[in-house]
Order: sequence, then structure tokens, then C-alpha cells
Amino acid sequence: MAKPVTPPPGRSSQSPNETPLVELKNIWKVFAGVPVLKGINLNLMPGEIHALLGGNGSGKSTTMKILSGLYVPERGEIFLGGEQKVFHSPNEAHKNGIYMVPQEPHIFPHLSVEENLLLGLDMDPRAARAQVKQLAKEIGFESSFSEEAGALSIANQQLLEIIRGLLRKAQILILDEPTSALTFREVENLFKRMRTLSQRGIGIFFISHRLNEVMTISHRISVLREGRIVLAEPTTEVNSEKLVRAMLPADAEMRDMKRKMRDSHDQITDEVVLAVKKLSSDAFQDVSFEVRAGEVVGLAGLVGAGRTEVAEAVVGLDPNARGDVIIKGKDTKKHDSRKSQSLGLVYVPEDRHAHGIFLELPSLYTMTATILDRLGRFLLSRKQEEAVGNDYRQQLSIKMSSLHQIAKTLSGGNQQKVVLAKALASKPDVIILDEPTRGVDASARQDVYHLIEQLAGQGVGILLISSELEEIVDLSDRILVMYQGRIIKETERTGASLQQVMAAAFGLQGEASL
Amino acid sequence: MSRIWRSRELLVFLLLIVLLLAVGLINPNFWRTRSLMHILNSSLILILVSIGEMFVILTRGIDVSVGAILGLSAVILGVALNAGVALPLAVLLALIVSVLAGMVNAVGVTFLRVPPIIMTLGTLGVYRGLMLIITGGSWIETIPTNIKFFANWHVLGVRFFIWVTLVIVILTTFLLRRFKKARYLYAVGDNEEGARLMDIPVKKTLFAAYTLAGLFAGIAAIIFVAQIGFVPMQAGNGQELRAIAADVLGGVNLAGGVGTPLSALVGAIFLTAVDSALVFLKVPGYWNNAVGGAILLAAVYLDYRVRMAVAAQQRQARAAVRKENNHLNPSTSEEQT
Repeated sequence: MAKPVTPPPGRSSQSPNETPLVELKNIWKVFAGVPVLKGINLNLMPGEIHALLGGNGSGKSTTMKILSGLYVPERGEIFLGGEQKVFHSPNEAHKNGIYMVPQEPHIFPHLSVEENLLLGLDMDPRAARAQVKQLAKEIGFESSFSEEAGALSIANQQLLEIIRGLLRKAQILILDEPTSALTFREVENLFKRMRTLSQRGIGIFFISHRLNEVMTISHRISVLREGRIVLAEPTTEVNSEKLVRAMLPADAEMRDMKRKMRDSHDQITDEVVLAVKKLSSDAFQDVSFEVRAGEVVGLAGLVGAGRTEVAEAVVGLDPNARGDVIIKGKDTKKHDSRKSQSLGLVYVPEDRHAHGIFLELPSLYTMTATILDRLGRFLLSRKQEEAVGNDYRQQLSIKMSSLHQIAKTLSGGNQQKVVLAKALASKPDVIILDEPTRGVDASARQDVYHLIEQLAGQGVGILLISSELEEIVDLSDRILVMYQGRIIKETERTGASLQQVMAAAFGLQGEASL
Repeated sequence: MSRIWRSRELLVFLLLIVLLLAVGLINPNFWRTRSLMHILNSSLILILVSIGEMFVILTRGIDVSVGAILGLSAVILGVALNAGVALPLAVLLALIVSVLAGMVNAVGVTFLRVPPIIMTLGTLGVYRGLMLIITGGSWIETIPTNIKFFANWHVLGVRFFIWVTLVIVILTTFLLRRFKKARYLYAVGDNEEGARLMDIPVKKTLFAAYTLAGLFAGIAAIIFVAQIGFVPMQAGNGQELRAIAADVLGGVNLAGGVGTPLSALVGAIFLTAVDSALVFLKVPGYWNNAVGGAILLAAVYLDYRVRMAVAAQQRQARAAVRKENNHLNPSTSEEQT
């Protein structure tokens, strides 16, 4: 069943000869030797709402950061009303009428709404105040000006940012996932205001992961994938199926074929090592799933879908979580991560620098951090500790000058292996891997994949969280897809296609045509 | 709810009244105008240092060298006076030194990017060292009486320096409210990244904060020399910690962005009143620090609990939003495989 698509409102004045407000030509951007934008061409017409779609890391945020002066491109040109420009700071972009409303509005929580609006403005305060009032009225901003900005709802904080942009005479607004923290009604209001702005001739770049919203509000849609624009068409010419297909990697069908030919892991037993029942918390609702011994369960979804929050609740890091987590048949009411570990569940967090590794200490210290009580009776036995370290160094082929090399001097891939060694050292029965290949080079990535297969072969149950759908689909025996805090799809490896998983991650469901 | 009623300044002010009343009940002598004026008079130095410190804390920094700057300026003033320099010139000299000392901190923090605590801990040592180098370690006594005169000069029945401090408090309060660039102090401390994106000159703002902290320590030094009449090498010792305590007590948020000169004023008077109260309650003087510290801890802990409660409230509100989202958003409610 395809989602009903509301036809987008046409722009009031659309003629082919119009000069675009802004035009990006052949923009390249390289981070640490890796090109993330590979020749982006993009433009925005007056009064146009131009939606940018793409998976995580596809380059849409980078492109918008270049436009708003946060990054300078390696190559390419930006034309503003026909004139070539380079922006070196947000300040310069502001002066040229470009204003970005970030996902988390940059407000000053302890200053009043009015102070927030007038701050840094090069204007006579009385005139500015009059203008603020005028704009607030036009855009329907109803909060009191003397209220502390920190007390505003996210929706009103966004409006505050939009008014800030308009005060700076912005002709181009960039809204970066503005709807992700809004209620349905707030989204409708935002759209109403976006249309008002569009009628005033202001161009809007609109980033969103919600296909139905994009179809509702935008005039034109550009899809990015791996740093390129792969689709750019008027909204009336596309449907969600076409958009999802555009976001898929080029070899998606071949991958699906290859996977279907391979057998499922034959070591999967019936023993359920982790059962999660009706788990709910602030960021997710009613999550239930099981992981069996020797099984790799993939948890797919976009950033912000609530996957990491689920993982944290499962290991006991979320005191507000309600529901049951059963590890190897033992119900873990009020458990913490330490208890989880003693029951055989370990979590390898996404942000290894913040949560997984002692950066300033010898790598060995991280590897043995959770099993110190087993190494020697009273005093730490160095010999035993190094034996454990060498074991994992070999098993995971960690490249380090010695076990005592300071962790932060290792490459990203090797750091990740050190974190994995720490997790494995406690001999877990279930392991949750959150984005295990983020910031990891290609060869270490293969090592991590190999390790996952190997662990599953040894009968360990694995919950694999990843934003890279290919990774999930290739490695998992079973796939769960999360969207806005719920598991909305569960599928076996053989039945899964990249396209279906992608569609589900973007909130499209049960479309037979896909 | 208006901001005034929620303000910490008012809370501490009420606590101060309660303290004064309670002590007055036990020892009625405490309630005499004279002793109250005495408390006010002995809190002037701390008030000024605390206001200076407040500028820095507003930007989310910390300056632990203000006590040393006070001492150094006092030494400069004393030495200059003893060398026969005219009073106005000597005062000016002391102020210039204090501003320069503040600027050194400012350069370190803004341009060399040294973390504030490390930078000012370093200059704390340097400035204290300079005091000893200049004086050879001996106290500066025999200070001419012309400066001491001001400490006892009453204008309309109130000491001159009380008037001076009052004017400074009113002036800084007014300027912080109405001077456009003063708003930057709050903005930088509240959300530095946001301030940068709003085209606010973050570096200049930080520079001004540390320089002002120096200047206010210098003003305090002048009152110090006038009131005490000599300059011991311990001059200003520990004042930085008492100033931070007074600010925090009065409601200046160590996380930046919140606080007014009134916070510094009320906090400083409160801490000084506690000292006096202990005297009137015949508690031995060596209890002062312990009691002051305990009061500070209690105030900060209360403040922490209040903020936690607010944060929890906000989290629940957000969760409620999500729930509403899930009920209303058709993209999630209709689907089921």
C-alpha cells in the first residue's frame, strides 16, 4: 500500500529564466584524505522549498555547512545571485543573506527571548525591536519576549532562530532536520510558516528524513548518496519508491542476490541469550526482540531513531527504562551495566572516545579493564595481564608497537579493536556492537566483520547496531528496523532486500511494490 | 512568575535577614546600627573583588589570581605613597598595575588559549612573587595618613567608601543591563558556540572580563590600604576563594551566563555577616572558615538539586512531546507488518 502523496503547492512565480538565489557548482570537500563531496551541483530559486534527502553520511549536512560558511570547499564555486562568493565564516554567510537553523537551535537559554533576538545585531535597538514585533506577528510567534529562551519549546526555539535569520535579511534559509523534535501539530505549523516565507520569495533548503514530509512541503527534491547528487527532480515527478531507490547503493541488487545464495549461519541454536520485552523509555516505546546464541541480529535505522538508547537501556544505563530485559533466562530488574556484564552481556558503545577507551593510558589497560579481578589474587599479575593482552592482540590482529602503546596514538581501527578486546575479555554470551565500524579504515573494517562472523560461530549472540544498511544486511541473520523510537520491521536475512530495509528506516512500510 | 521572585539574590537576601534577626535575638547588641554598618564596611573589599570575579565567571571562566592582584596593587600603592608620590597619582598607578595584571590573564586565556584555572593559578604565583620581590618580604608600614583619612571620612553619616562601593554596584548593574556589549558577557558564557555563530566577538568579550576582574581587585586594594593602614604580605590572601564563594552563594552560575552585581553584593555581605555573627555569638574566630564553607556547600547543593529538578521536568516534557508525536503522527501509527 503506497502512502498517499499530497501534491505540493506550486510556487507562485516559476519561470525558467529566473536567476537562482544561490548556485553551487562542482563542490568538492575532503576530510582526512577521504572525499565526502564529489562534485555537488545544486541551486535554489526564489521562493523555492528545496528538500535534501540522503542517508547518514551522504553529504547533505556537509553541503549545507559549506553554504553557511562553516566549511570551505576544496574545489568548486558558489554563485550568489550570479556573483561568485566564498564564505569563510558563518558571519560572512549571514552578511550575504544565508542563515542556517541548526537541528539543535543555538539559543542562549538564560537570556530572554528578546535579548536572544537582538544580540549581535548591528541595528538601532528601537528599530530592531519594532522589526522583531512585526516579524513575530507575521510568522505567528506567540511567546512572551521577556521569557527565558531556555523555557521555550523546541518548536518555538526554531521560530526564534528563523526570526533571527529574517532580521539579518536572510534570503536563503537552511532548515536542518527541523521536524525531528516536533509534535505532529508543530510540524503542521512549521509548514504553514515555511509556505508564508516561500510566498515572500525566500528560498529554503529543507533537510529531513521523513519522506512524507518532504513530499508534502517541497517543490523540488535532491537526493544525495556518497557525496553525489543522484536525483534532482520536481516533487511532482517523484514518489517515495523512486526516492528510496535513489538512496540505495548502486550494487544493491547484486548484494541481495549474493546474500540469498549464502546460507544462514548454521550454528544458530534455539537458546535465547537475550530477550527484551516491551521496553520503553523517553526516546523509544514498546521495543521487544530476542537474540539467540550464535545469531547476529541487526538493528537498523537512521541516526536519532533510538537505537543507541535501546542498547543503553538493555545494558542498564537508563534509569527511566521500563520493561523486561532477560539475559540467559535471568530477569534483570533494576540492573546496571556491571551486573549485565556478570550475566554475560557486554556493550561496545558507539562513541568509543567518550565511553569505550582510556585514551591517555597504555592500550593494555583498556583491554583488561573489566577483568582485573581475575588477574592475580591480591596484586595485579602483570604476567597474566600481558598474556590476556597478547592473546587478543593476536586474535584481532591489532597493530601496535607494544601492549603499552598509549591508546590515543593508535589508528581508529586499532582503537576499535582494543575496545572489542576489552568486551571479549569478559567472555560474554551476548555482545551489543554499536556502530563498530565508524571511523575505521577499510582493512580494519574487514577484520571487524570477520570477528563478528567468528564470534557468532563460537555461539555468541550479537546485536549489531549500524547506520550502514549494507553492513547490517550483509552480516545479520535477522534484521530489526527502528523508526522514531519503534521497531517497525523485522525480517529474516533471506527475505531482506536493501531497498526494503532502507524504506523502513525512512518510515515507509509494507509497500508491496518495492 | 517574575524573574525577581525566582532570583537567588532575593533568596540569599532573605536568608541574610533571617541570620541577622536570629543573631540579634541571642545578642541584641548585634542589631545596633553601628554593628550593621560595621558589617557593611568590612564587606566592601570582598564585594568589589566578587564583582570583578563575577565578570569572569559569567563567561564560564574562573580567575583565582584576583586576591594576588589585590595584594600586588596594594603593595604598589604603599610603595608609591612611601616614596612620596602624590595620592591621586599613586592610586592611578595602583589601578594601572591591576588592569595590566588582569590583561596578562586575558592574553593567556584568549590568545594563548591556556585554560583559565591554569593561567590564573600561574599568575597567582607570579603576582604574589612580585609582591615579595618589590618589598623584599617586609610589610609596608608607616603609610601616610592622607589615604587613611578616607576610610574614616563620613559623608551624610555614612562612610565614604560605602558610598563609593554603592555607586560602583549601581553603575555596574545599570551598565550590565543597558550597555549593549555587556550582554555579550552573558551570551558568551551561556552558549559560546552560539555566540560565535551570532557574530559576537568572543575573544574581545573574554579579554574584557579578565581585565575588569583585575581592575576591580585594584579598586579593592585602595580601600584595603586605606582601611588597614599598612600592607602585610598576606594582603588579599584567599580573597579569590571567598569571592568565588560569595558569587556562587549570591547566584552566579559557575557554568556561565547567570549572575548580577547584586549576586556579588548579597553573597559578599552574607559571608561577612556570618563572620561577625560568630563573633557576637562568642564562637571562637577559628570557626569562621569552617562555617562559611559549610554554608557555601549547603547553598550550592540546594542549587544543584533545584537545577536537577528543572532538568527532570524538561526531560519529562520532551518525553510527553514524543508520546504525542507517536499518537498523532500518521507515519508511525498506521503501520504494522
